[in-house]
Amino acid sequence: MSGEVAALTHNARWEVARLRRSQRIWLLLIPIVAGPVGSGIADLYLRVPSAGTAEVLGLLITAGLAALVVLDLTALAVGEDLSLRTYYLTFALPQPRGSALAGRLGVVVGGTLIAYGVGAIEVAWLANALVSTSSTAPAPILVPAHLAVGMLGLLVFLGGVTAAAGVVTRGASQALVAGILAGVVAAGIGSMFLIEGQLTGLFPEVLAAAGLVGFATCLFQYGRIEG
Amino acid sequence: MPSDVLTIDAVWKRYGDHDALRNVGFSLRSGEAVGYLGPNGAGKTTTLKLLAGLSRPTRGSVRVQGFDPSRDRTRALRRLGALVETPGVPPYLTGADLLEYVARVKGVPPSERKASVHHAAESMNVDEYLGRPFGSLSTGLARRMLLGAVLVGDPDVLLLDEPTLGLDPAARRDLRCLLRNLSRNGLTLLLSTHMLEDVQEVCSRVLFLRNGVLVGDEPVNLEPDTGPDGSRRVLRLGFGSGVTAEAVLRAAGPEFVVTLEGPREVTIRFSGGDAAQAALLAGLIRAGLPLVSASRPEPDLARRYLERVGREDAT
Repeated sequence: MSGEVAALTHNARWEVARLRRSQRIWLLLIPIVAGPVGSGIADLYLRVPSAGTAEVLGLLITAGLAALVVLDLTALAVGEDLSLRTYYLTFALPQPRGSALAGRLGVVVGGTLIAYGVGAIEVAWLANALVSTSSTAPAPILVPAHLAVGMLGLLVFLGGVTAAAGVVTRGASQALVAGILAGVVAAGIGSMFLIEGQLTGLFPEVLAAAGLVGFATCLFQYGRIEG
Repeated sequence: MPSDVLTIDAVWKRYGDHDALRNVGFSLRSGEAVGYLGPNGAGKTTTLKLLAGLSRPTRGSVRVQGFDPSRDRTRALRRLGALVETPGVPPYLTGADLLEYVARVKGVPPSERKASVHHAAESMNVDEYLGRPFGSLSTGLARRMLLGAVLVGDPDVLLLDEPTLGLDPAARRDLRCLLRNLSRNGLTLLLSTHMLEDVQEVCSRVLFLRNGVLVGDEPVNLEPDTGPDGSRRVLRLGFGSGVTAEAVLRAAGPEFVVTLEGPREVTIRFSGGDAAQAALLAGLIRAGLPLVSASRPEPDLARRYLERVGREDAT
């Protein structure tokens, strides 16, 4: 294995061990379990006019929960070692720092995206199983499939902003606050576009691109941190 | 001829408008154990950070086993163990988690990983605590676990920053003993500390740093007042009853320099080896002086520390 790949692999395993020991690994079940359960309850007890609308509602619930998870796990993956000064030990190990952090971020961000994907599939199945669509039902405000994919862009955006903030502030709690603020701004802008009828696929694409820039900034700056 | 394993050449390190290191240069040959002494804020930890790849010099060059640790991290740090300052470890992680991670990153083969982890933990007497989370370990045990992590993979070079901080006397003694043995087996060690006793027992050479400037680079075991020919010997003599400097000088001979330290104690300086010392002692006994003890005074590292760096922090 090359140094970069080895660092990715070792640190991905390390992050899994950290998630397991800290019990944070259970957070990844929230979008898979709590999202569909909440969505199913809404499907049963609210007068949802169509399966499409139920799906949109369920996706918003599931993605909202996944957003909280990605914020928390990313903030801790980047910021915890910096605030505890564990990096005094890990930075002196023979591995590229950027690849090491990429391995850890891969686990938390990738894990959350997968959990969201599983939750989204469950939501779609539940919506179609529990809600019948009448012929007079209005069309959902968003196309469910578009929303499902667009939410991935939001999650990448939140992860990227939180990761970049974690390196800059060198702390998990500050990074979390930055991620929450970014989420509020993104939701506000998205709502504005929706009300004005201008919400297109470009918006989540821009969010995803901004998130990737955030991750790149984080990895670059992480390699330059001076102890 | 052993080669240089650690080299710092004309290094400056600037933080804002403060120079933490000013034109510092030294090198350590393979197998050398060197103490790094200086008061708080002198720049010792900064130097270790540069060597461990935690920081980059503002000017000058740093080489670890021939490679720049800030650019060629993988090759420079492969056979190095570094404990700089006091790293925190998330409280939920166990010692085994940490040591296994270090073993993996250091490239210890999977078949040897478990043995390497236990060997490192055993050498710090923390083998039985490997399964406990860091949050449940005392400060000293956590420190020993961190030292164990540094020893994973049997590094060829160790950089230690206050390694005995927080350790009980027995653990300190054990660590000193371990470092002495590792050094005898070829380990290269740079030991930054305020504990002069640690340097005295473990190291053969000492560097003194003051205000970011290297002000001394000398053997640990310098004889006090060694002459330019390096042959001056000092003996401290104890007598059963009071003596005078004149009486001792008469018995010893004019080539000896006698200093009365107390009514029953004199320090005697002379040039020569063991034969001259034996002749001196025999002469004193023949002259009827009540000689009861003869010892060579301990090399006075504390005194030299104070002379080189001032009156701060000597312990």
